[in-house]
This record gives sequence, structure tokens and C-alpha cells, in this order.
Amino acid sequence: MTLIDIEQVTKKFPSVVALDNVTLEIYEKEFFGLLGPNGAGKTTLMSLIVGYLNVDSGTITINGRAVTQDNLEIRKEIGFVPQTVALYDELSALDNLEMFGKLYDTGPNILNERIREQLNAVGLYERRKDKVKTYSGGMKRRLNMICSLLHDPKILLCDEPTVGVDPQSRNAIFDFLESLNRLGKTIVYTTHYMEEAERLCSRIAIIDHGIIIALGPTDVLLEKLPYDETIVIAKNPFTLQKQSVFQEFGAIIDENDHFELKPGDDFKLSGFFSRIETMGLKYQWVELRRPTLEALFLQLTGRRLRD
Amino acid sequence: MKPVYQLFKNSYRLFLNDRIAVLLTFVVPMVLMTIFGSVFSGGNSTPQGIPIAVINQSNSDVTKQIVATLDTMKAFQVIDSAKDEQGKIVPFDTISIKEFVKKGRATAAVVFPVDAYADTSSALRIKFYYDPKNEIEIQTVGGLVEQAVFKHFPSIMAQSGLRQAKKFLGTESGQAFNKGIASLVSKYFNVDTSTFLHPDKWRLNRSDSDTSDAGSNFMGNIISIDKEQIVGEKLKNQWATRGIGGWALTFLLFALTASSSSLFDERKSGVMLRILTSPVSRVHILWSKYLYNMSLAIVQLLFMFAAGWLIFQVDIFSNFLNLILIIIAASIACTSFGMLLAAFSKTRQQANGFGTLLILTMSAIGGAWFPTFLMPSVIQFLSKLTFVYWAMDGFLQVLWRGVGTMDILPHVGILLGIGTIINVISIRQFKRGDIFS
Repeated sequence: MTLIDIEQVTKKFPSVVALDNVTLEIYEKEFFGLLGPNGAGKTTLMSLIVGYLNVDSGTITINGRAVTQDNLEIRKEIGFVPQTVALYDELSALDNLEMFGKLYDTGPNILNERIREQLNAVGLYERRKDKVKTYSGGMKRRLNMICSLLHDPKILLCDEPTVGVDPQSRNAIFDFLESLNRLGKTIVYTTHYMEEAERLCSRIAIIDHGIIIALGPTDVLLEKLPYDETIVIAKNPFTLQKQSVFQEFGAIIDENDHFELKPGDDFKLSGFFSRIETMGLKYQWVELRRPTLEALFLQLTGRRLRD
Repeated sequence: MKPVYQLFKNSYRLFLNDRIAVLLTFVVPMVLMTIFGSVFSGGNSTPQGIPIAVINQSNSDVTKQIVATLDTMKAFQVIDSAKDEQGKIVPFDTISIKEFVKKGRATAAVVFPVDAYADTSSALRIKFYYDPKNEIEIQTVGGLVEQAVFKHFPSIMAQSGLRQAKKFLGTESGQAFNKGIASLVSKYFNVDTSTFLHPDKWRLNRSDSDTSDAGSNFMGNIISIDKEQIVGEKLKNQWATRGIGGWALTFLLFALTASSSSLFDERKSGVMLRILTSPVSRVHILWSKYLYNMSLAIVQLLFMFAAGWLIFQVDIFSNFLNLILIIIAASIACTSFGMLLAAFSKTRQQANGFGTLLILTMSAIGGAWFPTFLMPSVIQFLSKLTFVYWAMDGFLQVLWRGVGTMDILPHVGILLGIGTIINVISIRQFKRGDIFS
């Protein structure tokens, strides 16, 4: 069932068209990924969904109700996790949570209960009375996230919530988001890290220059690639000499520390391995990888996601 | 040396790219220097148009001449009548002229009583009622009045001499003495002898309540100016009572500039975005900031006045309700100013820079630091367009003069009016600006 309906939305800023005729449906309880490089229009789309900005043309509805800057009621159904750590550094975690929670007219008892729950969920309960400025980056990110959950929203919009976060905290955030999704929350997640989108999202839209260039379940999108897997070949003096041989099987991309072989149309894996065996290539120098969204983005745009 | 030169050059590059730093370094001092220069050493160092009330109840020609002299002085605006309760313009009497000064409509009053120069006395007697709401102003006014009176000193002295001679020598010998003394006075003081050789024409009198022993003070025997403070004379600490409003306002404006600029911090940290993605509108944010700043302003002003009471014994309780009224009105105007700065600035640094410039300028021309009468007439006019002037004057009316509610309503009205105008401009600018984007 469609929860967020984005219909032919265009948003322009003085120097750029941030979104150009974007149409998108986000379903109830799904974990939806919005993938694109910096400046692609992801944050603008999030800002429009939450009603922070108004569309120039087109419509956005949530459960059939139009989203506009003036429609404050609809924001009670949305939790927004901004890209930056949007907290008062000089206040404690508890003070921040109370302050932001009260903006949603949540009753004091319910609010206190939710604050306790959420602090426990992200492992910050013991530090709740400490000033935010004493927190690590990962702790701030977790607090940043739960500030958006105190009114128990149906939809959680996460705008690159793991920027600058260490791997351990990132995994903790992923686990937390996955648990929220299992509990029935619809999550819209923007990122330019394809591995995040691949891990978390059941459906993905790839956006570039304000245009949706691909949309669908991750597996379906990856099927758009003309190959099923990427072959990674270690770079050493021997393989450097044999580049021309690899090119018989497809396109070779010279990465810094390895080669990537994108197989051609008539590629057969058995033929490839028997050929390298006859050349004396060691099997451990060759690795088969699943095709990635990074590769899809490269295929679609000719650019890398993080260019 | 090359690294030193490169770093030196880079410092200048950074400085010149920082408009606020440039503004604070060059523009602010230049503006303040201009104002101070205009006040203390500029082309118009003589004060202008200070209102003084004058009545001349004496028939003496010399008092008429002194009044005429006062009237011709640019420093003074001589007032000899006022509207009564029915709105009719009536000449001052000894009671109404004091009320006029007490209400702050004139800085001082000069009264030549009926016996200012009686036949029985040898000296000229003048009553000088004053309101030292500003010490510099009243010293200047007193000095200028004395200057006007002493301009006629040669004539008065000669007349006094004639009278004394007549008194002690008798009429005939006196007449002979008169002629002799007249020619001497005429020679050394350049006075027309006819003006004092005819007693019917000159009826100078002299008394000096300040000098019990007339013979011990020659000048005092000739001219006596009987000075009487009629406003604030019972206040314990007149200096602090006069100054506290100005200090409080200046610090309040700095505090409000900083407080209003918190919008920039909230935008930068992302908190603004978080708030605006909750069920909160931009109008809610502006109102919350406005009410917070206003309440902070009221608390700060109350605190400052309470400190004035505790430390300097400034009497804030005799007219407390009216003080509260003017505090609220001043807080509204000052808060609007803070919001205006936030609306027109793009960064906190910019708001602080503009704030410093405007606060110092407004405080200077609004009378928070030195009396406005010292300023050129153009600046005196501009002064009345600032809320600092009206707030300052409001505090003075309440604390110094102890006026009632009706008397400060104009101040309250003007402050609220200025606040409203600034708010309308601020809201329009907030809509156009990018503080919420």
C-alpha cells in the first residue's frame, strides 16, 4: 500500500534544478533507499517529504494528505533524522529529548516512558544526564536518531545518518533501524554509500542531477547490469603482463590495487577459468563478486557514486 | 623572512575578506568619532535651543534687558507662558513656572521677582530654579544665565554705587558724586551714563540670599542669583538615578543582539531544521524568540534597577508601577531591534558587527552617554527617532521626576510604536531572508 506518493515533483533553487519531475511511490512498512552522489537531490526530496520546503510543481501526499509547509499536523506522522547532528550541545541528552519530544504534544508520562525506552535501545541511558558535548560522534548520532522517534512516527526519514560514524556505531545504527522496520515503521534512507543501501533497503531509487534514474528492488536493479558478477583480479607483475588476455573476456578497469573485469556478452565462467589455468594464473588471485549498486550507478551514469 | 611575509600578507587577506572585522575596525570608530567630535569639539560646540522658562515681575529696565539678552542667545529657547488646564495660554506666575520645570518642559526657570531691584536695596536679585536631570546640562545652563546677567554687570555696579553714594552722602553731594562716578564708569566700562544717571529709568536692586555678609562679597553685593533645585532634591543618589537607565539600556541591547543571533547558531547546528520538521512553523519560532528575548529584557532591566537600588540606593519603589510600564515598553522596543538585526544579517558575526555599530551610535545620540543638548540640531532631531532616547527619557521621568502614568503614556506609546514598526520590517525581512532555509 502506498504511504508516500510523490507525483511529478519539481524543485528549483536559484542556481540549480534540484528535482526535475520526480515521481515515486513509497510503500507502507518498507525500507526504502534513496541513493545518489552528493548534490543529487536526496536531501531536497527529504525536505519536501517532511514539508520543510514547498514543491514548485507536482504533489506529495502521505496517506492521501497533501504535504506542504503549512500542514503541521502531517509532520506528527514523520520523524526526520537530519544529516547533521542537530542537538543542543550544552544540554544533556535528557534535556534534548524532552525539548524535542514536547514539540509533538506527547503527554509527559508517555514521553518519559519513550525517552527511557529509546535511550536504552541505543545504549545511552546511563549517560542521559551528561551534556551532549561530552559524547563521542557515534553517541551523538544515536541520540540524533532517537530524538526523531519520541512521537512514535509511522515514517522515519533518515538523511545520511551515518556520515562520519565509526564502523561499530554504524552497525549499531543499522541494527537499530532494521529493528524499527521490523516493528512496522516505514523508513526512507538516503545515502551515497551503496553498501548501506544494499544492506538495509528492500527497494531503492537511484537519483542523479534531480532525476530518478533507476527504481526498484535491489536485486531487480542489479539485473539491469549486463553481467552477473564482477571478477576481481589481484594486481601483480604477472597479471600486469596478462592484461590483454583478460580483455578477451570483457572490459578491464584498472583500480589502484586490483583489476576489475566486467564480463562481456558471451562470457562463460568455465571457459575463463580454464584459460587462466593454462596461463599459470593462481586461483587465489581471482575473486568473484556480486555486482553492486556502485557498478549499476557507474553503468547508468558513467560516473562513480562518490565522484 | 619569507614565511613571515607570507603569513603577514595572508593575515591581511583574511582581514579584508571579513567585512565585519573591517566594519568594526574602521566604520564603527569613525561614526563614534564623528558623534563625539560633534558634541565636544566640532563646529557646533555651543548648545542650542535649551528650553528655559522666564518671568520678569520687576519693572526694572535692567531685568528687561537681561531677559532680552537671554532671548537673543541661541543656546536658549525662552518660554514665558504655558497652557493652563483649560488649554489657554497664560503667562507664568511663580507657581506655574516651577511646575513647568518640574514636569521637565524646561531645564531651568529664571525669575525676576517684583523686588528684583527695589529702591531699598543695592543689588539685583534673581531666582534660579533648576532641574539637574543632567549635571552637564544644568552647569552649562547656569553658566550661560550668569553670563547673560553679568553682561549687564557694569551698569548694575554703577547704579549700585550711585545708590550707596546717595544713601550716605545725601541728595546734593550724591548728585555730584554720581556725575563723577558716572564719568569714570563710562570711561572704563563703556556704558552710556544717561542710563544710570536717572533713577526713574534705573531701579536696580540687589540682594543675595547666598551671602549673609554682603560686604564680604563685592560681586554678591551687586548681583545675587538665588539657586534652588526643585526636582530630585530629595533623591539619595542623584548621579545613579540619572544614569542607571542609560547603563541598563546599553547592556540590554548587547544582550539582546547576542540572544537574537542564536537563530544563526540553531540554523548552523541543524537544530532549526529539526524544529521546522516537527509541527512547528516559522512564525512559532519567531514568536518564541520574541517572547523569550522580551522576557529576558524585562528581567535584565529589573535586575539592573534592583542592583541600582541595592548598591546606589536608587529609589525604584516610589513609582514602581510606572517604572514597570516603561520597562515593558522599552523591552518591547529593544527586543524588536534585536530581531531586526537577526532579520537583516546573514551570520552571527554580521549581526554582532551591525549590532555594535548601531548600539553604540544609538546610545551616543540617544542620550545614554551624554546629554543630547550638546549635539548639533540635526543629531538632536535624529536622537528623537531612536527608541534609546524615549526609553532613557522615560526612565528619567519615572525615577527622577516621579511622574504619573498619564505623563509617561506618550513615552510608552512612542516606544510601542517604534517597536511595532521595527517588528513589521523584521517580519517582512524574515520572509525574504534565508535564516529558515
